[in-house]
Amino acid sequence: MMTKRTMTLNLTDAEMRALEELSAKKELTKTAVIRQALRLYQTIEARVLKGEKLVFENDATKEKAELMLL
Amino acid sequence: MTAETSTIYLLDKVVGTAVEAELRDAIEEAQLVDWQTKWQPALIVVLQELARQRVPMAQWPQSWHWDWRAKMTQVAGLLAFRGFSVLCAGVTQGLMRVDLNKHAREPGQKGKPLVYIDYLEVAPWNRTDLGKTARYGGVGTALLSAAVELSLQEDFKGRIGLHSLPQSDGFYRDRCGMTDLGADAQYQGLMYFEMTTEQARTFLDEENGV
Repeated sequence: MMTKRTMTLNLTDAEMRALEELSAKKELTKTAVIRQALRLYQTIEARVLKGEKLVFENDATKEKAELMLL
Repeated sequence: MTAETSTIYLLDKVVGTAVEAELRDAIEEAQLVDWQTKWQPALIVVLQELARQRVPMAQWPQSWHWDWRAKMTQVAGLLAFRGFSVLCAGVTQGLMRVDLNKHAREPGQKGKPLVYIDYLEVAPWNRTDLGKTARYGGVGTALLSAAVELSLQEDFKGRIGLHSLPQSDGFYRDRCGMTDLGADAQYQGLMYFEMTTEQARTFLDEENGV
């Protein structure tokens, strides 16, 4: 297993609630949620840097909406 | 980063005994060199023989055009993508690339994260679908076990998913006990399979001889 490093994370009540909700919904520990979020953020950033767009499509209506990233 | 190595056992089909091998949680330059200098020439011989026997291209190994160097370069440095390799007798016997950004579709675990197997390929001399006896058996299941173990480590509870090339449908359904979720129109019509937490437990128990 890869070596891991520890950090302290300060969150607001709302952020902690969101983390707890995701943790329960996805059946992941809070650490696993944060690690998953980091992977996803890094993947999106790399693809946007290559000139790609992040688009959501409604399954039923096929309506598409681009998520603008700063 | 140094690759972690663990000892596994493959079946040497020539002598019929178990042989020690290495499972590495990385695909490094040495593996890509093996793919280029050992797999590619072996595959060309197979393809020439298939062409000589006038075997329709639809029955050729469906991964024959995979370029592992390009596949690994494409995701270099990205945390969501991981490579695994199996080595035996100093030669790469199998390769796998996984994606940790995907979610399950099977109704009982829909929306939960899983380890998605982007690509899994064994060396041409280990394939059983090319009309010859494979050199080493168990390479594919060793890589699949690694995906399940990674899923457990990442708190994904053993869940894995993959799109199967038609020649491998039976392996994933019957040998690995995965759930067949049918053809995926969004993915060249390939069959999509998932392993649930329970199936993962059964699969690992069988692999570990429990």
